[in-house]
Amino acid sequence: MTNRVERELELPAPSEEVWQALTDPERLAGWLADEVSLELRPGGDATFRHGDTLRRGWVEEVSPPDSAAGAEAGGGRLTFWWATDDEPATRVELTLEPAGSGTRLRVVETRPLELLDLVGSPLFGAGGTSSGPQLVATR
Amino acid sequence: MHAADHAGAVFGALSDPTRRQLLATIAERPAATATELASELPISRQAVIKHLSALADAGLLDRRRTGREVRYRVTPAPLSDAVSWMAEVGGQWDDRLAALGRGLGATERGGPKL
Repeated sequence: MTNRVERELELPAPSEEVWQALTDPERLAGWLADEVSLELRPGGDATFRHGDTLRRGWVEEVSPPDSAAGAEAGGGRLTFWWATDDEPATRVELTLEPAGSGTRLRVVETRPLELLDLVGSPLFGAGGTSSGPQLVATR
Repeated sequence: MHAADHAGAVFGALSDPTRRQLLATIAERPAATATELASELPISRQAVIKHLSALADAGLLDRRRTGREVRYRVTPAPLSDAVSWMAEVGGQWDDRLAALGRGLGATERGGPKL
């Protein structure tokens, strides 16, 4: 089970331009965080500083709009994981698809909840019964 | 989608003051039964059972049958945690996407664009 946040935004710009805004650190600094460094390849390092919040992460998928994988995704996809030092990592998936003369951007951020299992919190609807064994009982 | 459904169930379950009071009472008295709770609150045992069922369905209570009684305990954090996570992260994306939209010439966020 995961927690999930999803947003969509239609932008009056072609997918190549939106892709630039999603992947060029200078452009990213205008909206995603104050300061972004991003190694644009699967497994690449990523750092995001916004105010006092520092997130570190890594890149999972880079599929530009003009790539085969990007076309398959509908118009491009960038996926990365990020985390602050005191929180579990979450996954951010940014997907582009053509929308009229512009581009639709879909953002999905998910937080896997397996960690909560490990501290013994029963997961609602996760298939396990809450009366099952608690893996860690230290509280 | 699932997370949103859960959030809805939690908000629904907590929208009722009696249920909030029940939840608080059970938090102080783990393993309470409906009979015990009914004796402490100004509502009938039938009403207590109905509210307990709503709270359990939303994942806020854990019920265990022991003999003829069902005992209730408050489920630890995950759901209220999920709700606050979604609210916080959703708000952050709203801000980020508003900034991105301004940079790319989108009109006001919130309604349909273009």
